[in-house]
Amino acid sequence: MLFSGEVADKIVESTNEIFTGMVMMEIEAIDPPAEPIGQFKNSITGLIGLAGSFKGVLAVHFTNDIAMAVTGSFLGLEVEEVNEDVHDAVGEIANMLGGDLKAILSDKGKDIQLSLPSTIGGEEYVFNSRDVGEQLLLAFKVPAGVFYVEAELEK
Amino acid sequence: MAKNILLVDDSSTMRKIISRSLRQAGLDFGEIFEAGDGLEALEMLEKESVDIVLSDINMPNMNGIEFLREKANRDAIKDIPVFMISTETGEDIIGEAKSLGAAGALKKPFTPDKVSEVLGPLV
Repeated sequence: MLFSGEVADKIVESTNEIFTGMVMMEIEAIDPPAEPIGQFKNSITGLIGLAGSFKGVLAVHFTNDIAMAVTGSFLGLEVEEVNEDVHDAVGEIANMLGGDLKAILSDKGKDIQLSLPSTIGGEEYVFNSRDVGEQLLLAFKVPAGVFYVEAELEK
Repeated sequence: MAKNILLVDDSSTMRKIISRSLRQAGLDFGEIFEAGDGLEALEMLEKESVDIVLSDINMPNMNGIEFLREKANRDAIKDIPVFMISTETGEDIIGEAKSLGAAGALKKPFTPDKVSEVLGPLV
């Protein structure tokens, strides 16, 4: 099991560390949905790919409202629209989580390569896994709603 | 004299956060310059008076390792210290950065306290 309790716990811990230490926002881990969400509305997803000894993707899914609140708190300013700063901040959160996931899976670091972060977003889109690896879905509550961290990996 | 800092990161958010953390850490520094990748950083180093570089590793066009390698070949800028600030913390990668002249590394995410502790002696 790639995503044993210990690995999942460490990703929860990393998410907490990023939000409390850098975004300056308190989050609470809650029970995730039983199935992947798949379809998103008025949302932004930050993505980072892993290649090498572990292959897959880590994604963080925010509604637009949460993404704006997160970006505002991250940068210490009011954010009223989903702009370039919001996409950049969401990508950077995915980047930090991807870096932590890599560190969890590999001490040395050279056997796993990280892609550059990217974002997708819009009124309605589908995020489908390829169903070829092991999947993890985590949910976190913030004042503006619930966001999700999703990973799919194969060895 | 307060030292000028060059921040190298493809994320504008991260450049702002590092800049804010330096201020919150109470460190005394001069001007802050910004570059979005290693290529821009090399251009900036050639034309501005920079005392310390804080650089990401995972960047487009020219990453932090390639930047260190190229900088080491340029006499005018090769002695400017570079500190890596990255999600990449694997000992192989940080070891390679140090072998190319990096003065140290700070892991993202970081807090202003950590910035002060790690970068204070440099700044």
